[in-house]
Amino acid sequence: MKDLAVRLAALDADASAAVQVIAYFDGLAEAGAGLQSIVRGAAVLAGCPARLDDPTRRVHIRVLPDGTSATDPDQVENHWPHATAGSATLRLERNGPPGPVDPMVLERAATAARTVLDRTRGRAPAADEIALIELLTDAAAPPDARQRAARHLGLPPDAPAFAVVLHTGSVRVHAATENANSSGHQPSNGMANTASTGHPHRAGIGPAVPILELPASHRAARTALRFTAAGTDDDPGEPVIHYADLGALAALATIPDPGAVPDVITLDHAATTAAWLLPTLHAVSTTISLRAAAAKLRLHHSTLQDRVIHAENLLGWSVRNPHGLLRTQLALTLRSLRRNP
Amino acid sequence: MTTAPPFDPELAAALAVISEQLPPALTPEMIPLIRKGTPLAPISDDELRRGGAFEIEERTLDDLGISLLICRPTGSTGHTGCIYHTHGGGMILGDKRTGVPGMLELAEPFGLTVISVEYRLAPETPHPGPVDDCYAGLVWTAKNAAELGIDPDRLIVAGGSAGGGLAAALALMARDLGGPSLLGQMLICPMLDDRNNTPSALQMAGLGIWDRTANQTGWGALLGDAAGGPDVSPYAAPARAADLANLPPAFIDVGSAETFRDEDVAYASRIWQAGGQAELHVWPGGFHGFDTMVPSAALAQDARQARVRWLNRLLSA
Repeated sequence: MKDLAVRLAALDADASAAVQVIAYFDGLAEAGAGLQSIVRGAAVLAGCPARLDDPTRRVHIRVLPDGTSATDPDQVENHWPHATAGSATLRLERNGPPGPVDPMVLERAATAARTVLDRTRGRAPAADEIALIELLTDAAAPPDARQRAARHLGLPPDAPAFAVVLHTGSVRVHAATENANSSGHQPSNGMANTASTGHPHRAGIGPAVPILELPASHRAARTALRFTAAGTDDDPGEPVIHYADLGALAALATIPDPGAVPDVITLDHAATTAAWLLPTLHAVSTTISLRAAAAKLRLHHSTLQDRVIHAENLLGWSVRNPHGLLRTQLALTLRSLRRNP
Repeated sequence: MTTAPPFDPELAAALAVISEQLPPALTPEMIPLIRKGTPLAPISDDELRRGGAFEIEERTLDDLGISLLICRPTGSTGHTGCIYHTHGGGMILGDKRTGVPGMLELAEPFGLTVISVEYRLAPETPHPGPVDDCYAGLVWTAKNAAELGIDPDRLIVAGGSAGGGLAAALALMARDLGGPSLLGQMLICPMLDDRNNTPSALQMAGLGIWDRTANQTGWGALLGDAAGGPDVSPYAAPARAADLANLPPAFIDVGSAETFRDEDVAYASRIWQAGGQAELHVWPGGFHGFDTMVPSAALAQDARQARVRWLNRLLSA
């Protein structure tokens, strides 16, 4: 069976080539491939040298189109197509006209690299990195010291960045990437990415701001973290919250003792009598119909109907009209705020 | 059946793409189709010349009913060592160019000549036709060494997959029939055992490349109803040989995630048990033919380098 070869390098510009690129990088991610495999995939599929540089994490990988590794002899050229992957940059060393699958390769490889970087290197930032982030998010520190810290962390000086606060208390700062969410204020980032791909990081994410305003992004991220939940039956809700999405809800964070609000006391009391209550209320108040809520809970529609009636008896208010739903949402949110002081 | 070993991550990703064109299982009805199909990339003269490193010649030997592809290092004077190559393709596919680029890559740094034989394929030509063709070509090559500019004492048989099985059979035949003396046998993921019932064959059914069904198709084409039965010749299926003593040093490699893993490991073990010399590499997570199908993968690079190192030791001994 030798030479029944499918030459990945011979991919052409048609749609099936793009599909194969996607399938290839999805396959790498699924199999848990490392950074070098990802960069190698980019080099082989694009047919030109590819490199991944992350000065803050001291990652430098360069692979030739035949798949062999090579140290980097060349200066980075600005015109090379590139994509950012958190604090790392993936580049194709393309000096001629762009290859047909370059954009797809860049996008997919950068996404895969970002996931690996977050998984393997994101959890344990170096000690000096922690100090630099503290400096960067400290409004009392001199602006030029903060600019220097940003440079050491590999943040582009003129691009916006945002802070992320993890449930563990550790703080990260990321450059807002070009492919940030089209609404413009929601950074697309490794944190949200890993959360959506099933590695539940619980995190609050601050808005993208100029470098010197990162202390504000950091404060906002801390606030957003208070609105997150474990996503369990005991603590239903979203594990990742963008501050920018909170809108007026953010004002609730200023309430001094959310646990003392009577509806929260009622809710807590009701929850002790029925384990299904909290996830049921969360589903009902965050979906557009009881039918959608039943689907989310994987319950039969009529079972949910029965539970809703039971819940209304326990709470003493309706959860099926707009006012009652608002009351329910506020009670759930205040309960989260009490749990995350 | 137990869980199959995982594929290497890079190979798993490539396999997702490859499987769309080449399913793991091949049935006899698919033989004509796959012979016509695209996966078997034609190999051009240019590719064989490797930028002028080799001069190529095709020679038809009418009285033997075979032809040879002869690739000599350009401008070589004196007598070179020679890789005598039997191509792969499950006994049912391929021609004398199949797999030759990989052989030339090995031969080039050592200045070796590569001679690849065109043998008749099953099922049109059942055993012993294919292996007899290969052996006739080997004997002719040794006899005509002077004219070919090769050193008959530095003759290595080599092949991948079915070609690996044929190369192993050539070593057995040369030993038993007083044929050419061989310096070595390079058996690349060789197809050795028509019984097709090792744990790896069972474990990898439906997975990877050349699974148990495909293997049944290959052996069935070569041996008909005799496949897996009591009277199969070791020259058809070298795993059947009762005696593996007095063979030339063997290089055997195979992936851990392929049908042939256990029969190839067993063959190496039996060579050692018989007092012979063998070098065995089992590449973790490799599927059948991974080194040629995904040559850029880290595991494929390592697998190819291991062959170069073995050749280097063999030729400088």
